[in-house]
Amino acid sequence: MDKNTKVLVQGITGKEGSFHTSQMLKYGTKIVAGVTPGKGGTYVNNIPVYDTVEDAVKEHDIDASIIFVPARFAVDAIYEAVDNGIKLIVVITEHIPIIDVSRAIKYARAHGSRVIGPNCPGIIVPEESLVGIMPYRAFRKGKIGIVSRSGTLTYEVADILRDYGQSTVIGIGGDPIIGTPMQEAIKLFDEDPNTEKIVMIGEIGGTMEEEVANMKKKGMIKKDIIAYIAGSTAPKEKRMGHAGAVVYMGLGTYESKISAFKDAGIKIAITPYDIKNLVS
Amino acid sequence: MKLYEFEGKYLFSEVGIKIPRGVLTSEHIDWKGKAVVKSQILEGARGKRGLVKITDDVNSAIDELKKLGIEKFLVEEYIPHTKELYVSAILDRDSGNPMIVASPSGGIDIESSKDIIKRDIPIERGIRPFDVLPLEKYLGVNGLYGVINGLYKIVVEYDAELAEINPLAITNEGPVALDSKVILDDNSLFKHEDLLKKLGRSYTPDSYVELDGDIGIIGNGAGLTMATMDLVKIFGGDPADFMDVGGGANSERVKYCVEKVGGNEKVKKIIINIYGGITRCDDVARGIVEAYKKVKKPIYVRLVGTNENEGWNILKENGINVYTNALDAVRDALR
Repeated sequence: MDKNTKVLVQGITGKEGSFHTSQMLKYGTKIVAGVTPGKGGTYVNNIPVYDTVEDAVKEHDIDASIIFVPARFAVDAIYEAVDNGIKLIVVITEHIPIIDVSRAIKYARAHGSRVIGPNCPGIIVPEESLVGIMPYRAFRKGKIGIVSRSGTLTYEVADILRDYGQSTVIGIGGDPIIGTPMQEAIKLFDEDPNTEKIVMIGEIGGTMEEEVANMKKKGMIKKDIIAYIAGSTAPKEKRMGHAGAVVYMGLGTYESKISAFKDAGIKIAITPYDIKNLVS
Repeated sequence: MKLYEFEGKYLFSEVGIKIPRGVLTSEHIDWKGKAVVKSQILEGARGKRGLVKITDDVNSAIDELKKLGIEKFLVEEYIPHTKELYVSAILDRDSGNPMIVASPSGGIDIESSKDIIKRDIPIERGIRPFDVLPLEKYLGVNGLYGVINGLYKIVVEYDAELAEINPLAITNEGPVALDSKVILDDNSLFKHEDLLKKLGRSYTPDSYVELDGDIGIIGNGAGLTMATMDLVKIFGGDPADFMDVGGGANSERVKYCVEKVGGNEKVKKIIINIYGGITRCDDVARGIVEAYKKVKKPIYVRLVGTNENEGWNILKENGINVYTNALDAVRDALR
């Protein structure tokens, strides 16, 4: 993704969609079209709106789509983007039924599209392009890649690393099932020439972070990883805000993640505020 | 949404899993013979806590449990059985498929058990008889297709994150679910209005989680809120809760959160950690000030982001400590 990425906004006429479209445009993102059923022919921030993705792709080249559609209809929006050949689909929407997400992600993969999210803040390449909802004051161009399951904590950590700046920041989302898991995002950073070090912000629940540790241990990841895990004080089986931040059957506890990191030589930040020292 | 045992068993009977004959009651009932009286609460480990009674005198057991503050009971026939198993279905995060987890020892703590078998069932094709055979072989029992298919259905048709039977009794007439633990996906509840109506449940998910400590924690975003909670613990404090105001919270929402956290009698001090992106700091500050009139407890606010200057002024004018650095806010609060 870079400053030339052409972006479609699904759900562009809604409150969130229209506000963030204007924010993304200010940041320099090339938004070429929007979609809201029934609102075809209108404009939002001078961006043409279409009834369907099919109509939009007839008129524009589109590389990526960002979805602000309400949870009940968001899965349909994913299928629609996939069917019209959009290769990168960022789903901001929160509270989509998990099993529906699972089906839609499998479908997208089978048809060669990458989903980021749902329930995520999106992606930002600082000073080039923002396909997401990040407040850009926290971000600066630089060499650190950040991947995170949490929105605000990403802003916090980007801010803490202001002196270094960031190559790309990906919020993968806080749901139990997501289109681009931590492992894939880290792999992308490892292959990215603009990234020198990788910061991984995880949380309790699930085993993605342990999988990353496993990859690091096997030598599949070359670059340095600095990791922070939120939720060391969370009681088990209590959901901590994110649909995915919950420990079932003892899977994905704080302790299991930390011990996997130790084993793999991943640097561990005890608080987000330690990350800066570990990066230098 | 976690279901009560009797609600989970209602779902079991809907998908063809056999359950004991039973009655839900909050009063004395007319019951002859041996029974199991089970407290209907949402917390686990009822057996260990003495909240499940096997008895010939149902009404005395009810009286005893009532003294402990229990209000609802499931009274069930006692099922003699030869063997107990553990069986559950869960939506596996890595594969995105339902996964069957089973163990030949029922009543166990599955987290620490090594004696378990797992089988991933691709969601595209659904469960097949050949999925069940290896499970039956491992467990040393036949006739489990109905139970396993039922649990699978609860995951794919009722959007359960977890559907668990622990223990599953093996009797001469086949398997019977002695307990149920079902957790539905909160995000899916709009699809199951009929079920909620039948169960008489309304449910609004709230991020609030009460903990044991005395320091109230409020943040925006699940990650930042968790990190704040952890920070308090690392610095020697004890968090009293997890409370995420959510994305783009307005003054009303912030006021509600501060009042809820401050309303907990155990809470002595409140730490609020906000990084405003979509959320505007002046809105947050106004909400805090409003709540502070009612919640007269020390509040330590870390506030940065959109409209931060306006936010700081509002807080300072009302005598509330404001910080730009979360570490300082936590340190001062724990002093």
